[in-house]
Amino acid sequence: MHNPGSRHDGHPASDFSVAADEVTCQQFVELVTDYFEDALPPRALSHVEEHLVMCDWCLTYVEQMQATVDSLRKLKDRSSREPSDSLLATLRAKKAAGE
Amino acid sequence: MPADQAIAGAPAAMSDEHIVAALRAGDERTFRELFERSYPMMKRVARGYVASDAVAEEIVQDTWMAIVTGIERFEGRSALGTWMFSILTNQAKTHGARERRALPFSSITPADVEAPAVDPDRFQRDDQAWPGHWATPPRPWQKPERRLLSLEAREQLKEALAQLPERQRLIVVLRDIEGLSAEEVCDLLRLSQENQRVLLHRGRSRVRALLEEYLDGADA
Repeated sequence: MHNPGSRHDGHPASDFSVAADEVTCQQFVELVTDYFEDALPPRALSHVEEHLVMCDWCLTYVEQMQATVDSLRKLKDRSSREPSDSLLATLRAKKAAGE
Repeated sequence: MPADQAIAGAPAAMSDEHIVAALRAGDERTFRELFERSYPMMKRVARGYVASDAVAEEIVQDTWMAIVTGIERFEGRSALGTWMFSILTNQAKTHGARERRALPFSSITPADVEAPAVDPDRFQRDDQAWPGHWATPPRPWQKPERRLLSLEAREQLKEALAQLPERQRLIVVLRDIEGLSAEEVCDLLRLSQENQRVLLHRGRSRVRALLEEYLDGADA
């Protein structure tokens, strides 16, 4: 599990606000869709990938986003209903008018 | 598959001209094919505006009626699918507005378009040891692929979708449920790639948050 106490040892807290070469978890969660969509510029992409190596919690977050997308995909409704009688009647009237 | 064909439900080989000519001529076979192919997506989109499947089904029928009766006036200034899609959303909005007048005020969800992906309270504050890092991290979901398939979870998902602001919902439906590409959705809704991603991000993030609430609640 991600543990700031050991994983980030040696980084005083203030470093995160000034260090532009890292993203915080709060910034990370806003980059997930761009990451999925291959839309991150190279620099941001390496920040995101480095963060994922460091942070199990954000890895969990990414897995949840992926599970969300996967479960949405399964909602797809393949059922098909018949056109209503009035719709078919309108279409037939069109055909009759054209003939 | 271009966006308009995805909406019109046309096989790739069928051009807009072909479809327009067939509908104007009252060609029932082509019409039935288009109707059947487009039905699930149209219903899904319509369902985002109204509270029941039955009303969403009615909207699809009304939309097709407007297409069949209006096809003579289609001038080809936009792609056929874009034209059909705008009829669909107009029909859905009209029904939705009618429904809302009949619903208690509390059932209308405010559109929180600018909301962050995750509640800011779940991250450490500036005066804490690791500002911007998780204070209340997400807990791994156990067997999500199985649990999210349950009927109850599917109802939760539908509910989560229904709570999204309109454009976010449309984009999540078209991208994630119907499987359209980013380009197709941008064409259809006349959005830039960047705006499409922003809205997709807000929508998906909100759905994840609601699923988290549901799954964590079930585990508790």
